[in-house]
Amino acid sequence: MSDTSISAPPATAKGGRGFWRNPALLLLPATLFLAVIYVLPLIDLGRVSMTGEPWWAHFARVFSVPLYWESLIRTMKIALTVACLCAVFGYPTALLIQRSRGIMQVLIATTVILPYFIAILIRTYAWMVLLGRNGPINKFAIWLGIYDQPLALLFNRGTVLLGMTAVLMPLMVLTIYSSLSRLDPSLTRAALASGAGPLAVFWRVLLPLTLPGIGAGFLLVFVSALGFFITPTLLGGPADQMFAMHITQQADSITGEGFLQALAVVLLLITLGVVAVAGRMMGFEFIWGGGKLSDTTEAPTKTRNRAAGQGRRSLGMMVADLIGWPLLRLLGRMPAAVGAWTVRGIGVLIICTLILPILVVIVISFSEASYLTFPPPGWSLKWYEKFFSDSNWMTAFWNSLGIAALSATIAVTLGASAAMGIVRSEIRYKSALMLLLVSPMIVPPVVLGLSLYSLFLQMGLVGTYFGLAAAHAIGGIPIVVVIVAASLQAVDRKLEQGAAVHGASPLTVFRTVTLPAIAPGLAAAVFFAFLHSFDELVLSLFLSSPRMKTLPLMLWADINYQLNPVLAVVSTLEVLLVVGGIILARPVLSRSRGGH
Amino acid sequence: MAETLDWRGSRQDAASRASAATGRDVIGSGISMRNVVKKYGAFVAADRINLDIEPGEFITLLGPSGSGKTTLLNLLAGFQTIDGGEILIDGKSIAHVPTHRRGFGMVFQSYALFPNMTVAQNVAFPLRMAGVDRATSDRRVAETLEMMRLSEHARKTPSEMSGGQQQRVAIARAIVMRPKVVLMDEPLSALDRRLRESIQIEIRELHQTIGSTILFVTHDQSEALTMSDRIAVMDKGHIIQMARPVEIYRHPQSRFVASFVGESNLIEAEILENRGGKMRLRSRAGYVFEAESRNGAASGAATVLVRPERIALHDQPSANTVAATVTSALFMGETLRIEAVMEGGETLLIRCPDTAARNLPEIGTRIHVSWNAQDCWVLA
Repeated sequence: MSDTSISAPPATAKGGRGFWRNPALLLLPATLFLAVIYVLPLIDLGRVSMTGEPWWAHFARVFSVPLYWESLIRTMKIALTVACLCAVFGYPTALLIQRSRGIMQVLIATTVILPYFIAILIRTYAWMVLLGRNGPINKFAIWLGIYDQPLALLFNRGTVLLGMTAVLMPLMVLTIYSSLSRLDPSLTRAALASGAGPLAVFWRVLLPLTLPGIGAGFLLVFVSALGFFITPTLLGGPADQMFAMHITQQADSITGEGFLQALAVVLLLITLGVVAVAGRMMGFEFIWGGGKLSDTTEAPTKTRNRAAGQGRRSLGMMVADLIGWPLLRLLGRMPAAVGAWTVRGIGVLIICTLILPILVVIVISFSEASYLTFPPPGWSLKWYEKFFSDSNWMTAFWNSLGIAALSATIAVTLGASAAMGIVRSEIRYKSALMLLLVSPMIVPPVVLGLSLYSLFLQMGLVGTYFGLAAAHAIGGIPIVVVIVAASLQAVDRKLEQGAAVHGASPLTVFRTVTLPAIAPGLAAAVFFAFLHSFDELVLSLFLSSPRMKTLPLMLWADINYQLNPVLAVVSTLEVLLVVGGIILARPVLSRSRGGH
Repeated sequence: MAETLDWRGSRQDAASRASAATGRDVIGSGISMRNVVKKYGAFVAADRINLDIEPGEFITLLGPSGSGKTTLLNLLAGFQTIDGGEILIDGKSIAHVPTHRRGFGMVFQSYALFPNMTVAQNVAFPLRMAGVDRATSDRRVAETLEMMRLSEHARKTPSEMSGGQQQRVAIARAIVMRPKVVLMDEPLSALDRRLRESIQIEIRELHQTIGSTILFVTHDQSEALTMSDRIAVMDKGHIIQMARPVEIYRHPQSRFVASFVGESNLIEAEILENRGGKMRLRSRAGYVFEAESRNGAASGAATVLVRPERIALHDQPSANTVAATVTSALFMGETLRIEAVMEGGETLLIRCPDTAARNLPEIGTRIHVSWNAQDCWVLA
């Protein structure tokens, strides 16, 4: 054998391996999965919505029947109000977390993070308990002598706003907190040393610099609220119908095909429109709350953003100069403690709002009474017994567990490899791909459920384990991608290069350096993907069959039928599950915002 | 509040006087610390610190990290609360004055420029906070930017500027009010050496012009020596020695100061004889030498400091020389850095200027060294 014949084959083999070694390939499975089960059904949804005669007939009906467009306006109003409430009350809470130290900070942060991961259904149920006829609030008010007959606090616009604000508050607080914690702390000190009082520091330094964070939080809350279904259904009255509720109601009573899809398309387009405008203004990174990805195509966007930012900044400066300064000097005469106490007051109020309902539900699960009343007349474990001995509940529990495990497996396998691909490949359109991967976070679940329903009917997946697991994985993948990508970006590339220079093969580098570094992130991703599926209700409502019950479906049916303490038992168990998970995932949560 | 405004007003007059005058016009405050204590749990960051700073002085707090120098600065700025003792500015306690009413200027290591404001807006910030009217503010900002040679950058944002420029903006912001006290927390440590040296000179000149009291924190001893009127050397929450740079360098009062400031040879020796400062000592290795030092006991053990650049190198032995063997020789540019072991085992560090007459000795070469009796400093 000559030298050339020896060296030639490795050269070609290397060329072939080079292709297979391209990290961009890791993006393929997740992209294909989402294309088939997520993008195509949405496209089909659009197609069906245009089957009217003429093609816009169904849309015309959406905008001409007062029931629908009035509901659309109402939905926008509610979402806007909720987003404003969250911003106004969330900012002081985020400030409180940032300013407290040590064990206090951990405690306050936990009271915000804990509800963030508890199912919306359960948190809404907690509010029903709290505000119920025999609930603690009515009892307390009567005891105080404010009124003497229990009031009907539930089923009005006020409760919808309260419930939705409480449910979405953690999202806002965590988003603002992450932008606060990224600030250089010496900026505050520099402002103080320059003679700025605490109020001026807030107005001139903190607020302008965290404005992007507030904007991101505001939009995330607004977009989530637009597609809200569970909370307004349970807490609202007939006059508080939100747009997403029409879609499920229409799905129950089979009306003409096409109109339903048109409703969903309208909701989807409004959501995407808001996100697109926001993304143009401040970068799409707000969706996943992460830093910028290194991407060649992004450079021009960035400079343009900055130029636009400058224009806006100087305008903001002018407004601040005109009204801000005189006002500040006036308010600056107040004692410095006023601001600190306002922050503390609002923060404590919000923390109570977040944690009290959960505590009340836990207490009620140990109640002796067979109806919901607080405080419980006596204590017993009979509702736990009832839960664990009722075959319906247990079947649902095991179904949920199995589906969640399968769904987490799918989401983590596809999502983690996609995260590797995103962070480590050098491809163009990285941002666009990332956007695709995380976009299920912003698509209203009702729209997703409807679009999947017809696909699942055709493929015979309705009411199957795999079908539900796959559907839940659509929302699980973004969670995994965000968490794992964040952990990967935190890995020092120098460590990997160091291992490679000293003779480790790429696989060995991954096994000995990369994997240990991202292991906590992966563990968190598994847990949150699991939790996402375990808590999922809306997709299951569309895609399950009467014989296939999951825990949230059982809860949903029971909440609508009768409020009993078994629901409190399920809620308590879920809280335990989340607390356990948060303790396991704490090292990761402190680094990234986590998934939502 | 009204009092504060009056006080600010009078300060502006002083400032305009200062800028009008060609000579140095002291506007700075005197600072006194009385038994100042600061603890973090069990760790004592400042342990009964006593310090007196004259109006208009340039004082450097020098020490290794964790020595308490930044703690003192933070206490002075009001970022942290004091656990004991008091701080007086012009004789008045500032215990109950919050940071933003203290009227200091401050420069941070990380620059801490407001990224949402232009250079001019950053510099105008303290003026706006003090309620200075727009016209005066604009004029003062322009003057200050001119002084820091930043006029053409006024409309830029901090992110568009280099580190050195950003730090000059931060300095401009700190001095625009002509504050009585300017605090500088390791302002130059993020810059490269050349830039650092040029800004050192700039700050020094600025101090001459504006006449504020400047408190400068650094762990870089050469920076401290170049810039300060006086240096306070700190270690473990204490001020070890506070004196003029020359005094600190030539006449350190402790081993710590001697070894922290500059390079040093510390020779353990026994005093054989002391006649009013003219001493005869015997090193542990048995070498007997003379020293002239106003410091030192009549007899007993002593540590003798000989700076490396005070040691002379000879090719031939003579009456006053000691033989040594070269163990390391480095060419450092303007100097040669030589380590040699004396007979008896003591290692000496020698710095001699790079001249055409001398080549770098090879390792193992036998050399002969000497120093003058006046170049020895006996540590108490």
